[in-house]
Amino acid sequence: MKDFLEMRNIVKRFPGVVANNRVNLTIRAGEIHALLGENGAGKSTLMQILYGFHSMDSGEIRMDGKQIRLDSPKDAIALGIGMVHQEFMLVRPFTVVENTVLGMREGRGPLLDLEQASRKLQELSNRHGLALDPAARVGSLPIGVQQRVEILKLLYRDASLLILDEPTAVLTPQEKDQLFAILRKLKQDGRSVVIVTHKLKEIMECADRVTVMRDGQVVATREVRETSEHELTRLMVGRDVNLRAIKPERKPGAAVLQVKDLRVEDESGREKVCGLSLEVHAGEILGVAGVDGNGQSELAEALLHLRRIEGGQVIVNGADVTSRSVAEHRAGGISYVPADRRRVGSVPEMSVADNAILGQQRKYVRGLFRDLDEARKSAEKLTARFGIRGSGIDQGAGKLSGGNLQKLILGREILRGSAVLVVEQPTRGLDVGAVESVWQELIRARQEGKAILLISAELDELLNLADRIAVMFEGRIMGIVDAVAASVEVIGLMMAGIRPAGAANTGATMKEAPSGETV
Amino acid sequence: MNGPSFVLSAFVVTWLTASLRLAGPVLLAALGETFAEQSGVLNVGIEGTMLLGALASFLVSFYSGMIWASLIAAVLAGIAANLFLAWMYVTIRANQVVSGLVFNVFAVGVASTVYRKAMGDSALPESIAMFQPLHIPGLTRIPILGPVLFGQTILFYATLLLACIAYFILFKTNLGLALRASGENPAAAASAGISVARMRYLGTLISGAGAGMAGGYLVLAQVGLFRESIVSGQGFIALGIVIFGRWNPLKAAVAAMVFGACDALQLSLQIFGSHVPSQLLLALPYIVTILAISGLFGGKAVQPAALMVPYDRE
Amino acid sequence: MARLFERRLVPADSPAAIMATTSAAFLAAMLAAAFLFVSYDASPFQAYYALFHEPFATLRGFGYSLVRASPLALIALGTIVSWRSGFSYLGFEGCFVVGAAAAGWVALLTAQGAAIGPIPFILFLPLAILAAYLAGGAWAGIVGLVRARLGGNEVLISLMSNYVAIFILQYLVSGPLRAPGSLPESRLFPKGSWLPFILPGTRAHAGILIAIAAAGIVWVLLKKMPLGYEFIVTGFSPSAARYAGIDVGRRLLLASFFAGGLGGVAGLTEALGSQHRLMDGISGGVGFVGIVVALLARLNPLAVIPTALLYGGMSVGADAMQRRASIPSSITFILQSLAVLLVLAFDVLRYYKINFDFRRGTPSSTAPQVSE
Repeated sequence: MKDFLEMRNIVKRFPGVVANNRVNLTIRAGEIHALLGENGAGKSTLMQILYGFHSMDSGEIRMDGKQIRLDSPKDAIALGIGMVHQEFMLVRPFTVVENTVLGMREGRGPLLDLEQASRKLQELSNRHGLALDPAARVGSLPIGVQQRVEILKLLYRDASLLILDEPTAVLTPQEKDQLFAILRKLKQDGRSVVIVTHKLKEIMECADRVTVMRDGQVVATREVRETSEHELTRLMVGRDVNLRAIKPERKPGAAVLQVKDLRVEDESGREKVCGLSLEVHAGEILGVAGVDGNGQSELAEALLHLRRIEGGQVIVNGADVTSRSVAEHRAGGISYVPADRRRVGSVPEMSVADNAILGQQRKYVRGLFRDLDEARKSAEKLTARFGIRGSGIDQGAGKLSGGNLQKLILGREILRGSAVLVVEQPTRGLDVGAVESVWQELIRARQEGKAILLISAELDELLNLADRIAVMFEGRIMGIVDAVAASVEVIGLMMAGIRPAGAANTGATMKEAPSGETV
Repeated sequence: MNGPSFVLSAFVVTWLTASLRLAGPVLLAALGETFAEQSGVLNVGIEGTMLLGALASFLVSFYSGMIWASLIAAVLAGIAANLFLAWMYVTIRANQVVSGLVFNVFAVGVASTVYRKAMGDSALPESIAMFQPLHIPGLTRIPILGPVLFGQTILFYATLLLACIAYFILFKTNLGLALRASGENPAAAASAGISVARMRYLGTLISGAGAGMAGGYLVLAQVGLFRESIVSGQGFIALGIVIFGRWNPLKAAVAAMVFGACDALQLSLQIFGSHVPSQLLLALPYIVTILAISGLFGGKAVQPAALMVPYDRE
Repeated sequence: MARLFERRLVPADSPAAIMATTSAAFLAAMLAAAFLFVSYDASPFQAYYALFHEPFATLRGFGYSLVRASPLALIALGTIVSWRSGFSYLGFEGCFVVGAAAAGWVALLTAQGAAIGPIPFILFLPLAILAAYLAGGAWAGIVGLVRARLGGNEVLISLMSNYVAIFILQYLVSGPLRAPGSLPESRLFPKGSWLPFILPGTRAHAGILIAIAAAGIVWVLLKKMPLGYEFIVTGFSPSAARYAGIDVGRRLLLASFFAGGLGGVAGLTEALGSQHRLMDGISGGVGFVGIVVALLARLNPLAVIPTALLYGGMSVGADAMQRRASIPSSITFILQSLAVLLVLAFDVLRYYKINFDFRRGTPSSTAPQVSE
């Protein structure tokens, strides 16, 4: 196979970071090439450069041996490069066909010709087995179908190189298999596919070659046939670790958080949590697994009263807190580490000291005024206790690295001393070092007897930390399994909505003590 | 024809004629603003732009007497002024509301300085040649509707035509699709190869042309002279009309007529000696706009998702 | 690769950098205005002397500067409270007018033979301030309510509401409150309701003291009180505020009320301190210039008083300039607004640094670092 595209010595700087440091990447015609690396390794930046979204500081890109310039996505599109971004680039109020022809010049000159475009789109979707209604509004389509729209957009433009950034994050295992089948077919057409991912299994499953990036540099390129998951992990992480959390034994105590038949809706009135029940005990981590968008966020928000509860009950330490306000709720025993660190969990424009009291601003008060001395003291304590590195508590919280910011939020929520801790995607986007310390802190909180509800899309995280794992699918709990005995396959099936024989069926009958307390 | 019914029909004719006459300039400004807002720019500066357009058309008409050249001067002045605004909005990515508001103050300063410099301190405002109502023969004789619909100036018919053209461009062309995408989801537009900056410059410049021409309309077809208070909030009314018309040029035309009708009702009632306080009627268009934006009736207007959100590719 | 101006990856945000760009913008605006002065055959130096000498170096002029500064400062403070809470309110022109009307109404009630009758100033002032504050607060509060409950766009609603307020005042002075005579204006307020003059030989009145007190209160509110902290969190990030147990809707409502009240008191200082009667056109654009003052003060309550004095003084100087050198006062409008536009535009400069070593060609090096 011949080399189709070549990126040489690409350098790209961002504030305080060299995102790509002399990166080389070669893509052959008709191959599926995986770009592997941890969050922040520079994969997405590299692909944004290839798509003309970012300019590079130095380096060159060659296609079929000729040097090319990519000043904007327009140049990339003209050269047959297409990209499906991690966040879909779709205009929600537009129809599928409008999204498809957006930015294209063809047909009746300056006039839109949606009919002809619809016909062509229909033809393409039939040929590739991607069922789709061209006249549907994109905003009303499920995520999986939106991805189909994105792929069809590229095919409509007859792209010869397709870049997919983390395409499986929003898919069930079954949808993922479908996607891979499509990609293989595209490969047979002679097109090249780059998939950006940090999931090893997917690479072994569908890629021909893999390039591993770490800290903005390329570590290695391998034929997938000749490598192993073990080798790839080592290349990706840079040391031979298998991230493992050592979790001391602990007998869970009484049920602290009880959720009964909870119903929650999203903004558009669709039911996202449909009669969900669960219990978390003191000194226990209950993991909640599931593909993003199956009601996990809504569950967390409803527990904190950030979202209206349509039905059911939330009980903390025997007291019904269903109808309390957020402020009463926070005072009354639930802490929350939200998934969105920079927009919900903290205020980046304010100082570390001010962020350290977020949610407790009415506690640090002397008379009518804020007790700034006390607030500063507690911020100092927080940064010392959780090892938050930065240039002091007066610096803007936005200048902290992701890991340190997460420690600030997690520490704040742990120290406020509530009995229940709800944690959502605590390590998303963090580097390995930060992941380790966040895990340690969660285990420590468990040892201190907190009841922890851990919502995560990373199965690895759940298997390491949780005592029990509840799998959510379309707003319901498919089953709860003991983390030690759990198999990835069983959890995967439940994530896809299939209840395997033998898995503990819980539903609303979670009354008895959890089975997995002795590890 | 007996007395009361004659008075009534005279009242209706004056009222409706004035409604359409008053709707013209704000509709023109609103049409331009629709393009700006669809591309993601809230151009509050159209108030000041209208004033500059009015000044330009007045001066050109005063010195040259060429009425069409005056109108073109108004359009060009609007475009030039909004080139600066577009630079602030798109290139500098300054706060759109703040830049627009301060620009309005700036425009007042420029307009009154230039006017005084050009005209001296003469006490009497100078007046100029104006567009006259067409009075299409035959058609004007249709009772009530005739004089109302066919007794307007050519600028009014041109404005209606522009509303149709604006609708066609926004919703039936590739350009319109690209422009709307820039206002809904600039990242998606950019990823489809569209230059969001170019679209937003275009939207802002079109709104400049519309507002400048609206200023010319005020001078050349309604007032016949220039004074600093000639615009007095009509640019802001146009912003309301855009929302009332749900970012659709044809609906904006209807909205503009409603506003014109409120405004004209006050004039007509005064002429016919009514005792309703004129201020209540003067305030009516503003109150209607407030209610329309609040979403108290007719459901809430959903604005372009990225309106007022600066876009930076990196 | 190395250039004289090198793009920074993040803007310089030290106070010195902000001062530098602000002063540069001001100088550029003054330079532009200087050309305008030249076009009137006036020496720019003499023009600027006239512009600044009268308001700041003569007692009489300084008194007028204080008179103009008081409402500007109060409106700027209102702007700070609302904008820092994330409520982009532009309706201060309206708050000013309804505040002036409310204070004027109370003043007229204390006239000989009116409903209340003469009362001591020490009783009258709190009553008038309360009336003006409530009127302005309610006026802005309605918009706050619409935003909090219905999610309406406060920028446009508040812009429109200005006109409604102006028409209300117009109605009052041409109808119920109209004094006999040809002009649509109210009777002169009784002397006992005038704000006391504070500098002998000038028109300076106690309004500036009210403004200074308000600046202190706003500073304490935002910096020292839990409510201010909640306002600021709400302004930066409503979702973080909700997460922190802050009732965002109620905070917006409260902030809009506080801010509007300050705008109402601004109307009071103008009505009771300087005009001593109600009339159409009493605001004259103060509601917008006050917002500009707040922006120029970078939404810092302590910087508001000097900035308002500068802006108020410039308008006094502009009138003097027009009288003496027959340079139109509208040039000051240009100068003032251009300064703000350039401040906004020059913020871009903070993204650049001057590379003094550019000839030696040392590229700026950034230590490799892992991002998150």
